[in-house]
Amino acid sequence: MLFNTTEFFVFFAIVLAVFYAAPRAVRRLILLVASYVFYLSWNYKFVVLLFGLTVVDFGAAIAIERAPASRKKLFLLISLAANLGMLGFFKYYNFFADNLAQLLRYPPHSWTYSIILPLGISFHTFQSISYVVDVYRGEQAAIRSPIDYALYISFFPQLVAGPIVRAREFFSDLNRWRHPSQEEVLRGVMLIVLGLTKKMAFADQFAQIADSYFQNLSVHPGGWAAWSGVIAFAMQIFFDFSGYTDMAIGMALLLGFHFPVNFRRPYLAFSITDFWHRWHMSLSRWLRDYLYIPLGGNRHGRLMTYRNLMLTMLLGGLWHGASWNFVIWGGYHGGLLSIERMMGRREFEKKPPIWLYPVRALITFALVCVGWVFFRAATFADSRYVLSQLVHGGKQMQALLPRWLVYMTLVSLAIAAIEEKFEWTERLSRGPAWAYATFMIVLLLTIEMIGVTEKALPFVYFQF
Amino acid sequence: MASLNDLKIAFKSLVRALFTLILTVCGFWAVEFALFHTDAYYTILRHDSSTGSVETYVRNELKRTRTNPRQILTIGDSRMGFLPRYANELETGYEFGSIALGGATPRDWYYMLRGADPDANRYSAIVIAMDDYEDVEIEEDQSVRAADLYYLIGRLKYSDIPYFARSYQHDPTLQWAAVRGVVLKGLIYKRDFQDFLLHPTSRIQIANAARRDSHQWYYDYVGPNQSLEGVVVDFDKRAVTVPPGFSEAQKAAYTYRFLAPRPPWRGDRTAYMHKWLGKIYERYRGSKTRVIFLHLPRGPFVRPDQPVFNAHSSVRELAVQPGVILLPEHLFDSIERPGLFIDQMHMNGPGCAEFSRMLGKQVSHTLDAL
Repeated sequence: MLFNTTEFFVFFAIVLAVFYAAPRAVRRLILLVASYVFYLSWNYKFVVLLFGLTVVDFGAAIAIERAPASRKKLFLLISLAANLGMLGFFKYYNFFADNLAQLLRYPPHSWTYSIILPLGISFHTFQSISYVVDVYRGEQAAIRSPIDYALYISFFPQLVAGPIVRAREFFSDLNRWRHPSQEEVLRGVMLIVLGLTKKMAFADQFAQIADSYFQNLSVHPGGWAAWSGVIAFAMQIFFDFSGYTDMAIGMALLLGFHFPVNFRRPYLAFSITDFWHRWHMSLSRWLRDYLYIPLGGNRHGRLMTYRNLMLTMLLGGLWHGASWNFVIWGGYHGGLLSIERMMGRREFEKKPPIWLYPVRALITFALVCVGWVFFRAATFADSRYVLSQLVHGGKQMQALLPRWLVYMTLVSLAIAAIEEKFEWTERLSRGPAWAYATFMIVLLLTIEMIGVTEKALPFVYFQF
Repeated sequence: MASLNDLKIAFKSLVRALFTLILTVCGFWAVEFALFHTDAYYTILRHDSSTGSVETYVRNELKRTRTNPRQILTIGDSRMGFLPRYANELETGYEFGSIALGGATPRDWYYMLRGADPDANRYSAIVIAMDDYEDVEIEEDQSVRAADLYYLIGRLKYSDIPYFARSYQHDPTLQWAAVRGVVLKGLIYKRDFQDFLLHPTSRIQIANAARRDSHQWYYDYVGPNQSLEGVVVDFDKRAVTVPPGFSEAQKAAYTYRFLAPRPPWRGDRTAYMHKWLGKIYERYRGSKTRVIFLHLPRGPFVRPDQPVFNAHSSVRELAVQPGVILLPEHLFDSIERPGLFIDQMHMNGPGCAEFSRMLGKQVSHTLDAL
């Protein structure tokens, strides 16, 4: 049940109606049942896995809280082993088995199995880990209600692709639940429509260009084609993922929950450091709090800081998928972050003067695009080919982006720049009704006239 | 039971939100209506797209200057090689027009006729071109033809939704697509709109020119001169021979058309033709307008395995109704020659000219004799 399908909206409408019509005492149960129904609609087999991990982490957290200090770590390790073990098996087993076979000169796929990746496993295991670690650190009380905890892990708006919500944020909303205000309802609806627009009118249009380029590299030689394909993918992944996130945040708002912002106009970043403050922010925050800082952060000198940055980003890359390309993508960003640190942290965190901003943003965007090559290309050899085309692909004028998509890119860039300055859409739900309605009408017409509605294309991050 | 109280609180706090959302929905509907349920979008519509062709033909017919009160309108698909100019040059006392369109089906014909003749009183006769009088099965099941939605989107109104959607009775997905498409016409126009975005300036220029001059373009069209002279179909040896200059693809197309077995009888065609020809007849029943069916020339070569007589075919059953006329089945047999066809199905320029003159004369005589 994809977010961009009629079936999902029927499902969501039913959930909303039942949720608000039911007595408060059973609303959590209703959301839990709805979340499991949502997950069942994808693949009923993996519900057992989701349920099993929920039981283990629920029990481990209570055990950690109750256990004497000397034994707390044991329960933490049990929980981590369960979560990382499942994630490792389902997501990385074949990758490591294949590489080991190659290393030992066995035929490829000697030890691999046909494993289907359970939907959303990367996200719900990270949420579980953050919860159990927080309980271990004493920053979060263990949840005593199995329904509450199961709902935290399986809450359908963010189950499959985030944003990664911290336990204390979620339970704060859950325990002090109140009706969404007028502004929240309007904002929720607007975010759902905005997310749909990003997905159907922008991401799915750019996807056609990106797919046609990356799936047939030899058919599209030349630098223009390469830049078209890579920029199309950069646009696709941003609009796809931020569209999904907008919808998730909007749906949660309508149900009375407040998810953290996950994207803040990342392609306006003036440095790679700034980019990671704007892109998939809930993952960046998770990696910082549960990986980078525990590794030592920047507390042990420059070299250790660079090492920690590299390790964090390498693992962040590997989190996205079991392939060397993702590792390289992570390493590439880790390297760039380290270089920026070497050149002076403040320089890359402080907003540059207005005259320098466009140049810095353009350089950052180009660097990010180079990284996307590894993210999107099927193999390392393909990545090398695309990079070579980007740099010296010649002047063959075979640009794949049609002119109207270029205009759409420029319009969305202009909107982002205005939004960066004035945050109009942030305030729209508090503004006059006519302004809100006008904006929504434009979004709806954009979906109608530009959106890919012939078939519902899956979200990119669902594969992670 | 806190839920009722909760609902009251929620409702009170949501009044403004609801007002804003209702305003949004109404505003969206108003813009959608203004764009796609009026003439607004037609000003940039590509005139040779499926939607654009229907609109151009129907609107040209509506604004055609009439010099004679005795008007005749012909309709059909691409095989209807009727060029009104040739029939009008005969000065039979009738003035001919045509909205026959390549790819148009009987379902399309009904809505096109409704558009060209809103009050069902403009014509002395409507002439409908038929491939045959027996409802011979074709491979495509036209009752579930998705393209009809694209052909007709400019013609369909909200009130058409129930009947039009139900006409896709064998396919619930298409029924839903039809409902959604008529309610939100932009979903159907979007291909055209995205094409418009590629070259907006030239599109506007072409659309303006088509609105202004396309009637004359179509009226002056004489058709191509190429023919199938030299092509031989040996039905005994089941072989097609083509002279130099013809491609293998052309030969394969001829072979398929003349030698491949006919699709088996399913009854789909009869049901479909009954439905839509019946609906066209209903539109003119009791009016001064005659409904005339003609049997098109079968092709440059005539298969020996001709369909058997079907007394219950759609046109034969309609023929007993008052105001319905079936032109003689073999009226155009003389045109069934390779020299008058451009391919296995369509008449060439000389073929169209001869056919148009013959049809003009025959229809005039038939009507005069009544």
